[in-house]
Amino acid sequence: MKTEKINIKAALTIATAALLGTNNLAQAESSTTASAEENTWEFDSAFLFYSEVDRVSAGEAIFNAKKIFDNEEVLNLKLTVDALTGASANGAVSQPTVQTFTRPSGSGQYEIAPGDTPLDDTFHDTRVQFNGQWTQPIAPDYIASGGVHISKEYDYLSLGVNGNIAIDFDRKNSTFSAGFSYFQDTFTPEGGIPKPFASMLIGNSNDPSWDEDFAKTRIGSEDDKSTADILLGFTQVINRRMLMKFNYSYSMVNDYLTDPFKILSVVDSDGAAQDYIYESRPDSRIKQSIYTQSLYHFDTSVLDVSYRYMWDDWEITSHTIDSRFRIPLGDSFGTESYLQPHLRIYQQSAADFYRPFLLENEALPVFASADYRIGEMTAFTVGIKYGMLVNNGHELAFRLEYYRQTPTDAGFNEPGVLKDVELYPTVDAIIAQVTYSF
Amino acid sequence: MKNSRTINLAVNKDSYSIIFNAMASPCEVIVQTTDKQLALKLGDIVAAEVWRIEDKYSRYDHKSLCSAINSNAGQSVAIDEETYQLLTFADHCYQLSDGLFDISSGVLRKIWTFRGGSVQRTKFPSQTQVSAALSKVGWKKINFDRQQITLYKGMEIDFGGIGKEYAVDRGIILAKQLTSNPVLVNLGGDLAVTGPRINNKTWQVAIEHPDVDSTLGTDNSADMIVSLKSGALATSGDARRFLIKDGIRYGHILNAKTGWPIALAPRSITVVSPQCIQAGILATLALLQGCNAESFLTEQEIKFWARR
Repeated sequence: MKTEKINIKAALTIATAALLGTNNLAQAESSTTASAEENTWEFDSAFLFYSEVDRVSAGEAIFNAKKIFDNEEVLNLKLTVDALTGASANGAVSQPTVQTFTRPSGSGQYEIAPGDTPLDDTFHDTRVQFNGQWTQPIAPDYIASGGVHISKEYDYLSLGVNGNIAIDFDRKNSTFSAGFSYFQDTFTPEGGIPKPFASMLIGNSNDPSWDEDFAKTRIGSEDDKSTADILLGFTQVINRRMLMKFNYSYSMVNDYLTDPFKILSVVDSDGAAQDYIYESRPDSRIKQSIYTQSLYHFDTSVLDVSYRYMWDDWEITSHTIDSRFRIPLGDSFGTESYLQPHLRIYQQSAADFYRPFLLENEALPVFASADYRIGEMTAFTVGIKYGMLVNNGHELAFRLEYYRQTPTDAGFNEPGVLKDVELYPTVDAIIAQVTYSF
Repeated sequence: MKNSRTINLAVNKDSYSIIFNAMASPCEVIVQTTDKQLALKLGDIVAAEVWRIEDKYSRYDHKSLCSAINSNAGQSVAIDEETYQLLTFADHCYQLSDGLFDISSGVLRKIWTFRGGSVQRTKFPSQTQVSAALSKVGWKKINFDRQQITLYKGMEIDFGGIGKEYAVDRGIILAKQLTSNPVLVNLGGDLAVTGPRINNKTWQVAIEHPDVDSTLGTDNSADMIVSLKSGALATSGDARRFLIKDGIRYGHILNAKTGWPIALAPRSITVVSPQCIQAGILATLALLQGCNAESFLTEQEIKFWARR
């Protein structure tokens, strides 16, 4: 009897929202108890741990604060701190012999055992990132939003602004949005910016002429990158249970797009490394993507499936399918909880200048990079999230995911010893996250 | 019903009040501002909207759409989107109340006359009269869609149970579009606010005691003060209009299924809700529960005040 009557209130709320075109049910619900609750902050915190097998580990803490003001203005402040340690592939190919590399800073060298993928283990950085976003209705059915972004690492500074406008129509069943963002990044890597295709200096770093020789491989101490994005979106309520979203984005990235820590092996006809040269990438990239998402609300569970197709003028194309299925468990464990399995499948083609290595007797291409992240690959993520409502309606959630990235053999002819080493190593990672909302 | 469609401005300590008459009730819009022009403009806009709704949905106005629907019972009458939405809302209320709330039940009033304090003149209709009237009641017999509504001959609908509350909500929507200053819209006691007053202060709303002016002596005759920061409140019931038979008090709210007034209901119920129309319906649905009115609302976890 009680549940039936509770339904009357909920049903009336929906009927009222339909009549008055105030589709914001959450708003309507919350304002019933609003006399004391309004104008309070909502907080979210999350701790994330990411670890690649034998490679990078990252720990991240996110703190989000949100305040809704009387006239539906929303202020959102987010602070992210992450610490990264471990090793990252430097781009050189594995060899049957010991290889010696100079650290990006120029001070000191490291050796890689025969058969191992060369990893630079000097990666450690702490990043502090701040995002602030203000959203407010500016006219009936018009919502505007603007934000700032500051991110600082030891050798990286990123500043960004964004703006967005959303227009509701068809009694808020449809929303059209248009947004832009602009980021200006400055890279000041320790040891400076390497000269494209310069040979990595290897030898005795205590030699008196070392510093001078090393400086010859450098073109400066810092460089910039700018990113301008335009995003157009359309959201449509299909029916009571289903919602669809379509996005198109156009992104222009300019200036220094090269990774100063990545090199390429130059091998002879036996596949033996003769030289290591710094990579070189074009100074512009135009990326476009289309995205569609569909949310379907079953009686209790929610299915969220999205697909993204991205293409750029580096000839990289990618497909991403992401799906989540939220299954409420009721209060079977003494508290209200849910399970949410997650599956993500990603497939990418290589950039046109991707080369796993270069051949000694070949002319240098205009651009080349052996960065596995712009090579052909497939990746998948499987995971599960368990969330529960703890005291006072606060939500506590745990997420555990497994990620595997499998590069595809790019089909380059592999001379000599390269046939016997692993040129396209897989990357495995574990992601663990704890989230607490209060 | 359209006597003197003018608005009057009153100056308060930190706000302006715009006073007008509509829907047979004194109406007031309060805006917390020092900007007189803003207050006048707001008053014009809200009053115009309330009068528009009155003109369109009043069953007393023979030029209204409501009258057109009723006088053309038996044939299809074209309706617009707003009317369709209101009918859909009424349909939800009918379903949710299991038929107790029915906007076609107005014809029952032809056989029931309620007069304030007229204990001696109690005159009940016969069951035959009730049954005859009841044959013209029945929301489920009415056919409507986005384009039209068709009533059976002899049937009538009225928006009395939702029209005024709807006008309050519309007034609030328009006020929010014009200004971010705090606004209260009060149409004869059914009211809503756009948000808290400046500095997050509450609105102090006095709810007139239903027994004021009544010939019945009662000990709790003071007005009730309600603090409101957001949302709306609506009152259903009227202590001046009731009947007493065999010692049982019947309020003027009629049960659309039996054709009889509801017995043993509170004299009035005031409900707080995010929207006025919701508050009004919840108050009416509660009264329709008779002696269970309070427990109905308590089970819904709804904030209310009942007067018995």
